[in-house]
Amino acid sequence: MARMRVFVWDVPVRLFHWLLAASFTGAFLTAESERYRDVHVALGYTVLGLVAFRLLWAFVGTRYARLSSFAFGPRAVVDYLESIVTFRPQHYVGHNPAGSWVIYALVVLALVTGAAGYATYNDIGGHWVEDFHEGAANVMLTLVFVHIAGVVVSSLVHRENLVKAMVTGYKWVTRSGHASGPAD
Amino acid sequence: MVKAGFIAFAAGSLVFGATAAHALSPSDLLKGYEASARSASTSFGGFSAQRGRAFFQTTHGGDWSCSSCHTQNPATTGKHAKTNKTIAPLAPAANPDRFTSVAEAEKWFKRNCNDVLGRECTTQEKGDVLAYLMQVAPGAAK
Repeated sequence: MARMRVFVWDVPVRLFHWLLAASFTGAFLTAESERYRDVHVALGYTVLGLVAFRLLWAFVGTRYARLSSFAFGPRAVVDYLESIVTFRPQHYVGHNPAGSWVIYALVVLALVTGAAGYATYNDIGGHWVEDFHEGAANVMLTLVFVHIAGVVVSSLVHRENLVKAMVTGYKWVTRSGHASGPAD
Repeated sequence: MVKAGFIAFAAGSLVFGATAAHALSPSDLLKGYEASARSASTSFGGFSAQRGRAFFQTTHGGDWSCSSCHTQNPATTGKHAKTNKTIAPLAPAANPDRFTSVAEAEKWFKRNCNDVLGRECTTQEKGDVLAYLMQVAPGAAK
C-alpha cells in the first residue's frame, strides 16, 4: 500500500483553528471574574472575527478549506458513523461528514454566543440574554469535547495523527481500496 | 448544611417561579438566607444592615470593595472598576429588578465575592449585605 504525503490544511485554516481554540478557552476561563471582563470581551470579539474570516475562507480558501469539500447531508453522516462502528471506516482526506456537522454547530454557536455576549455587555435585552449567552457557551464547550473525542476516535480508527495534521498541514493518505474511496 | 438548606430553598423557589415570573421579592430572598443561616448554625443572631453596609464598603485586604463598582450609594448608577461601563443601581428601592431571582442573586454573589474577597461569601454576609441594600432609600446620600 503506497502512502502519500498530502497537503490538506493551509496556513490560514491551521491558524484559525488554534487561535479559535485558544480564544474560546481563554474566554471560558475569564468568564466568571469582573477582573478579566475586558480580556473576556476582547476574546469574544476575537472569536467573532476569526469565525467571520473562516466563513469567507470557506469560499476562497484552498481545496480542503472550502465548504464545498465538506458540505455533507445527513445521509453521509449516518453512513460514516455506521462505517466506524462496523469497523469498515470510510476515509476522508479533509473533514469527514460527522466532523463536519460538529463544525457547523460550533460555527453557529460561536456566532450566537458572541452576539449574545455583545448584547449582554451592552445591556441590550434582559437577563435572558445573559442566561442565553452562558447556556450557548456551555453547549459550545460540550461540542468542543465531542469534537476532541471525534478526533481521538478518528485518529485511532484511521491510524493517523489528526492533531499533528492540524499543526503541520500534512496527512498521510493510503492509496488503495476503500481508503481513497470517498476522498475524491 | 448551609448548601443543602439553600438548595432546598432554591428548588422550592424554582417550582414557585415556574408558575409566576418575578414572584420573588428581596424580602423573600432574605427570608431564604435567614432560613438557611438558621439551619446551619444555632448561634445565628439575625442579619444586620449596619454590618452589611460596613462589609459593602470594606476592601477586605484586597484592592476592591463592593462599592468600587456599586459606589458608596448603591441607589445610584454604578461604574465598573475595570471597564468603566455603567451598572444599574443595586438597591431594590432604586431598581425593582434587583434580588428578584435566587439564581441571579446567587450567581452574582458568587462572582463578585470571589472578585472582592477571593472566596465565596457566607450566608451571614450575603444576608447582611441584602439587609443593608434593602434599607437604602432611592436617591439616598448613603
